[in-house]
Amino acid sequence: MGTLVLSNIARSFGNVVAVRDVSFTVPPGGTFGLLGPNGAGKTTTMRMILGILLPDSGRVSWNGAPVDLPVRRRFGYLPEERGLYGKLKVRDQISYFGRLHGVVPPDDTKRTDAWIERLGLGEFANRPCGELSKGNQQKVQIACAALHEPELLVLDEPFSGLDPVNAETLQDTLRALRDAGTTMILSSHQMWQIEDLCESFCVIAGGTVRASGSLAELRSAWPTRIVEVEPIAAPLRAVLDAMPGARRLPEADRPTLAYEVPADADTAALLRRLVAAGDVTRFERVDPSLRDIYLRAIGAAV
Amino acid sequence: MNTIAIVFNAEFVRRIRSRAYLAGTLIGAVGILTLTLLPTILGGMTSSSSKKLVLVGDPALSASVKKALARDFEVTAVLARLDATPTAAFLDAHGKAAAVAIVAASRDGLHVTAYTRDPSLFGTSFGRDLASLQIALALGVPPARVDASSHVKVDVHDVSGRFADAKAADAAKGVAYFFVILLYLSILLNAQAIMSSVAEEKTNRIAELLVATIDPARLLAAKILASAATSFIQLGVWIVSGVVIGRLAAGFVASGAAADAPSLLSTVDLSAFEVTAFLAFFAIGFAQYGVLYAAAASLINRTEDLGAVAGPLVIPVVIAFVMATIAMQVPNDPKIVVCSLLPLISPFVMFARVAVTDVPTWQLIVSLLVNAASAVLLAWASGKIYRVGLLLYGRPPSFRQVISTLRS
Repeated sequence: MGTLVLSNIARSFGNVVAVRDVSFTVPPGGTFGLLGPNGAGKTTTMRMILGILLPDSGRVSWNGAPVDLPVRRRFGYLPEERGLYGKLKVRDQISYFGRLHGVVPPDDTKRTDAWIERLGLGEFANRPCGELSKGNQQKVQIACAALHEPELLVLDEPFSGLDPVNAETLQDTLRALRDAGTTMILSSHQMWQIEDLCESFCVIAGGTVRASGSLAELRSAWPTRIVEVEPIAAPLRAVLDAMPGARRLPEADRPTLAYEVPADADTAALLRRLVAAGDVTRFERVDPSLRDIYLRAIGAAV
Repeated sequence: MNTIAIVFNAEFVRRIRSRAYLAGTLIGAVGILTLTLLPTILGGMTSSSSKKLVLVGDPALSASVKKALARDFEVTAVLARLDATPTAAFLDAHGKAAAVAIVAASRDGLHVTAYTRDPSLFGTSFGRDLASLQIALALGVPPARVDASSHVKVDVHDVSGRFADAKAADAAKGVAYFFVILLYLSILLNAQAIMSSVAEEKTNRIAELLVATIDPARLLAAKILASAATSFIQLGVWIVSGVVIGRLAAGFVASGAAADAPSLLSTVDLSAFEVTAFLAFFAIGFAQYGVLYAAAASLINRTEDLGAVAGPLVIPVVIAFVMATIAMQVPNDPKIVVCSLLPLISPFVMFARVAVTDVPTWQLIVSLLVNAASAVLLAWASGKIYRVGLLLYGRPPSFRQVISTLRS
């Protein structure tokens, strides 16, 4: 296990600035979510972590040392687009990438068999990868990335294009790797999946970091909270309207009064005032979701 | 395990098991076998059916004509006269002959009237065979005397002492031609296989995974070495097909009427020096073209674009092949000597020269040094392009960008 540190890395392609200034730290065994819209610079950042691209400026380090080839061979990478030989059999494919990462025979065969069984690829083991469905190809890809028990696993959109069943299988696999202590960085547009897997996050937009930290840290920095009150009644609405800094939100399908209030608002006092004004059947202070934080960060960037 | 060895092993197995490789090897072997047997088969065909004649005329004259034609024609019957104009049925009835030749002698010499299934039969060889008889009749001297007078005795002495006679020198040209064709086929087929492999890895994004674990220069080296190894195996199969099986089959096919017909490689007798030269120039040529093709393939984004970048790279191979065939005729022409020192061209031309003449040692050394240095230079330049091109997606780079990459 090790610590990954990105310090002010930047990378341009001609006149296009893909990554302007990105810094973050992933602690040993940590699971880190990289979020951002298409073209935000996530993949370029990942490629710089893996040494596929060199930063124009800034530094990537692993345990304090630069990421050179011997270090990179201890990393695993799942690219966004499939990186498989179409005509190579599943078993040979997994074993080949394992050997490239330093797994020696016969260990490569044993580990390949174990991963094939773990991912339910037994019936496809001797079939060319090109004949497999997208979901099964993704499973092969994760086995290729993880066979050598990498110290750092970088996963670029691992859930892209997967059906719910395959997504769940992959989710379970990643949980197991996380629980085994593998440090992971993953990007995804599936917020609930990334929220479930990751301990900390970084939102990138326009090549710069817009927000980063654990979910608790991101929430604590969030300026507002949502208060939901039931039933919809005029006295209750009057109390909420009178609250300083409160903003009424459009009512959803259910009979709920929803207001955005300042994060430091005294919600206990608010509840007391509401109870005094009328019958309250439901009162909830809702923390912002990762999706809310992401959208706000992206919105600020756009 | 060394990463070069891992990639080499994987590339080698993948290539040797590929249908394209197996089909190319098999088709190449059949083609070369056919090429070596063609003279034998054609000789058998022409002598067995299409060169049979029926002679009609004065028996003494017909006997002289039959003797004169013996080298190229088989006379199936000699008749004093014809009762009617010959038909195909008549030819079939007289040993399935191809023609009837009515011969007559006059003060002007020999006159032949022919009825034939194949008018081309009475071309060069027919007239050439009867030329001595024609002169004998015109001058009124015995044909044997004309034959004896028209035969010029030529004693051939190769100043280098390399070839015993003209036949051995001709055989050397045949050998050179055969091996230059092998070189041409092998480089074209296998360099394009390298291209396909690089293009597949780039377009399928496998390259991203590979360069995260292995230095691009080592990756390129492993690919070239694997392809060279499979090419050597392919060459071995082709040479065995052409020389060994060709010789055996030639003996089998040539039994009977065409027993004397030569096979293209029936006189192949390569010296250790020639074999070494062939292997050395093959390896150098393969390395030069291999790295060029790999670099070109790394610049494309779709496999459909392979043809566009492969086309220009075929041109030097074709030029080299053409120059090599010219080198077999005029191996010491100054222009050919220069060509045998030029990178990309000389692997073909120098080998052709080595096979048909004694190349001065200094020229061989200079050629090897120039080519080895060029191979290193091309590998360096191609390696830089390959390293950058492999991860370059979107619009293909302009020529200026490629030059800029080389300068960086």
